[in-house]
Amino acid sequence: MNNPFPLSRDGLLTAYRRMKTIREFEERLHVEFAKGDIAGFVHLYAGEEAAGVGIMMHLEDHDRIASTHRGHGHCIAKGVDVRAMMAEIYGKATGACAGKGGSMHIADLSKGMMGANGILGAGAPLICGAGLAAQKLGHDGVGITFFGDGASNQGTVLESMNLAAIWNLPVIFVVENNGYAESTSVDYAVATDSYVDRAAGFGMPGITVDGTDFFAVYEAAGEVIRRAREGGGPSLLECKMIRFYGHFEGDAQTYRAPGEIEENRAHRDCLKIFTGKILEAGVVESGELARIDSEVVGLIDDALESAQAAPLPSAAELTTDVYVTY
Amino acid sequence: MRAIGIIANPVSARDIRRIVSHAGNLPINDRANIVLRLLTGLAAAAVTDVVVMPENGGIRTQLMRTIERERRMGTLRLPAVTYLDMPVTSTFADSAAAARRMDDMGVGAIVVLGGDGTHRVVASSCGQIPIAGVSTGTNNAFPEFREPTITGLAVGLAASGRVPADIALALNKRLVVTVNGRHEIALVDVAVVAERYVGARAIWKTESFRDLFVTFGEADGIGMSSLVGLTDPLDRTTPEGRRIRLAPAGAAPRTLAFPVAPGLMGKVGILSVETMAPDIACRPSVNSGSIALDGERELTFGKADDVSIRLEIDAFRTVRVSHCMAFAARHGLLVHQSCSPCHEGESR
Repeated sequence: MNNPFPLSRDGLLTAYRRMKTIREFEERLHVEFAKGDIAGFVHLYAGEEAAGVGIMMHLEDHDRIASTHRGHGHCIAKGVDVRAMMAEIYGKATGACAGKGGSMHIADLSKGMMGANGILGAGAPLICGAGLAAQKLGHDGVGITFFGDGASNQGTVLESMNLAAIWNLPVIFVVENNGYAESTSVDYAVATDSYVDRAAGFGMPGITVDGTDFFAVYEAAGEVIRRAREGGGPSLLECKMIRFYGHFEGDAQTYRAPGEIEENRAHRDCLKIFTGKILEAGVVESGELARIDSEVVGLIDDALESAQAAPLPSAAELTTDVYVTY
Repeated sequence: MRAIGIIANPVSARDIRRIVSHAGNLPINDRANIVLRLLTGLAAAAVTDVVVMPENGGIRTQLMRTIERERRMGTLRLPAVTYLDMPVTSTFADSAAAARRMDDMGVGAIVVLGGDGTHRVVASSCGQIPIAGVSTGTNNAFPEFREPTITGLAVGLAASGRVPADIALALNKRLVVTVNGRHEIALVDVAVVAERYVGARAIWKTESFRDLFVTFGEADGIGMSSLVGLTDPLDRTTPEGRRIRLAPAGAAPRTLAFPVAPGLMGKVGILSVETMAPDIACRPSVNSGSIALDGERELTFGKADDVSIRLEIDAFRTVRVSHCMAFAARHGLLVHQSCSPCHEGESR
């Protein structure tokens, strides 16, 4: 069968597996969090998978990302171990950060994942550091920072865009625009809601893509990442996307229009859109996707069970990992 | 006098061509300024009412800020501005919805800010309402580059009937693409490319180009239609189209260098250049791929799909700005006779 897509058949199946893993991870957390066994907050990435995976399919471990409070999807797409993530969310000793970080501070530097981040806009200056390191070390690594339409108004983001531009850093600023800063509409809170204009203000190009279309994100991300690797400097990529759940688990979402979530799940589900395309073209078969689904469910089952069974960190661990020496 | 419609969608000109080529970005405040310049021209042509497509991207905020200030200062000389009461989706669907509503209202004309893509969306939804383009998009083969104040003047003169319709308005060709009974239109070009996904929409990978169908192509044009302009040019009025069968550079008897997008030259193989007669259905050269309408991938198709491309003549109307202004000059439409002789020393 002729493959008309920009990824190989294996690449398409990998992208599907990653998106499906994120979806299953988040859907299960939605259920488990309601039971009250997880401390703190969780912010779910369900509905936004095409953006994270479409971008991360272009990255290697030496490429760095700085994530947000809604970081589970970025972690999975970047290759962080799902079991270690789940254990971290449960605050267990087997977690990615020994149970001390929780949902909003999952990090794995071996995978280039510099951390989810509870502080809005805090990933932007971090990624400038990663970009500067890549530039000084002379390898072709890039840094990508994610932030939402809300955090786009933070001074840290705007200062970092300026820094990246003056130093010509291999950095990409990804605006994950899901329309709401917590509960505040982007229409209210962003003066000119064209992030392309904001990029232009710092002398860098910017583009907007449909974040629910994996192929749109994949194609656009490929170009901005290539540009950065080749020394073309920073750029901005806005992904317009859909958040299936509330800002945080427990959010009553009274700010949404009646029927908005149902409409989005029915017609703007990035996973359904992706599977529809690859199945229609006959490049993969539904049986192959069903097998992946089953494996993913098994993985999340295992991650949950092992996280729940794992021990909490001991009190003696409280003062370790506080400082790092180089 | 009938109201004039304005469609300025902030989502236009934001696509990947700002990365893969050196296409420009017209900032929101400049778009608001263009609307103000249009309004100035419309007011000077005695237009009293304008309806505008609502959006939340910042154009409205800046426009109303200026209008409210001038109203407070007693210096407001612009037509009354009313926003359509419609939901805002912040997508191209807003342009289509606004065009339909303006058609229902029977506005005198619709002024469109955008490039080929935005004009296509409006022209597909505005019925027989004449449109006037202000070029603010990426590839601008269809709308002409012109100062918007002048476009506003011409539209006002045309809509009021002070310039007769046979001079003020032109009929235009279009292409109709039918996929399994679903119709889409293109104003300038339909390209068939081998990639079977819409992706980031724009087309720039010339090795995947297989077919091109155009309504017109000028030698100094930009984008796909320049392929016709550089091989067998065709104007906007001759009742025929062109079809070019394409292949990767080097895989055809001749290879042509052409401006794919602003700041991006490409090479493509030319297999043949043919004349398209009106109302004859043409089939793509390949049985699987995607179809770009006026430069943006919109549809995908496979072996089982029934795909045709057809040229229609006299399909929709546009305001001929230069003709309107030439008529206005000839007939003194903007001349106001003074009531009293000039004072001594006043320049003549």
